[in-house]
Amino acid sequence: MIRYNCLELLAPLVTDQIVVTSLSGQKIEWAHLSKHEGNLLVGTMGTALGVGIGLAVALPHRKVIVLESDGSVLLSLFNLPTLANLNPDNLIVFVFDNASYSGTRISEPTATAGRTDLATMARGAGIEKAVTVRDLESFQKEMTAALSENGLRFVVCKIEESKDHRNILRTDMDPLENKYLFVRYLEKSEGKPIIRSRG
Amino acid sequence: MEQELAQRIVSGLHDAGIDVITYLPETRLSQMLPLLRDDGSFKLIAVSSEAEAVTIGAGAALGGKQVAVYMECTGLYVSCYSILSIAKRFGVPLLLLIAHLGSFADQRNNSVYAVSGAYVTPILDALEIQYRLVESGQNLETCIKDAGRHTQALKLPVALLFSGDFTR
Repeated sequence: MIRYNCLELLAPLVTDQIVVTSLSGQKIEWAHLSKHEGNLLVGTMGTALGVGIGLAVALPHRKVIVLESDGSVLLSLFNLPTLANLNPDNLIVFVFDNASYSGTRISEPTATAGRTDLATMARGAGIEKAVTVRDLESFQKEMTAALSENGLRFVVCKIEESKDHRNILRTDMDPLENKYLFVRYLEKSEGKPIIRSRG
Repeated sequence: MEQELAQRIVSGLHDAGIDVITYLPETRLSQMLPLLRDDGSFKLIAVSSEAEAVTIGAGAALGGKQVAVYMECTGLYVSCYSILSIAKRFGVPLLLLIAHLGSFADQRNNSVYAVSGAYVTPILDALEIQYRLVESGQNLETCIKDAGRHTQALKLPVALLFSGDFTR
């Protein structure tokens, strides 16, 4: 299974959901596939899941989708018990696990290339619906259920390492520009101010 | 910390419009936690690392909440990466409530804390995070409200460092 094919399936289904991405290939691919105003391209390792949890808590009536990677989740494993105990029923986490630090360009293996299983760790932390999918059909089934049902989902997607994203033109969007577009979209769709000019 | 000071911190956070608090408990200011819980108007998010106290807090702030992050000063070291990569890079207002263990005015200072405390203000300076030292209850509510207004106006984290009477 290739990550880009998964994201191609997800992109047309995103309407009013919020999407938070971590870094590297999936950020590049998602920014290429989706121009959704509700995209927050976090782009740093070990931070997207935390930001997504905060958004899910702040906006419990909105579906929040977090696109994570194995290396990034491994850097922020403390998120798992926190997420389990908060148990936001509007949060979907897809962890695209290629068992390598692709961004290094020398494909150094992550712990999931060895004995570590992220879905098992998530279940051990207390996340009930933590599963692993290994093919596109299973991904589509999990994705459809996650989008249509309430309940926290943690879906580890075992993917092949793909370097195709290196051929995609990277977004030039600055984090501050992204923040303002994202927040103004939320303000418009939620009907409330978020960033004020006054303190 | 005397119960009266703990209650006044809670009142100050009310006045500042704070509605979400992420936290990892510590020894000096912890008396405020039951009060915050009993108050019922704050969403309290217990975390396992100060690094996620900042990322989760930032997410909540981007979702429209006014957020305080409560931590021991050692948590500042743990959360530096999150502060830089999320709060500073995206410009997110966060009111950092930091128990300044190991500072000159820490009334329970000892060799466990002193070294950790010594680098807190240099790190805040290096991160260009504006801060205030709070060592007594004088103007406490105003101080918290000012910091809350300032973090929103600046759209960046701002810190209050509690020591002195808050560490008794």
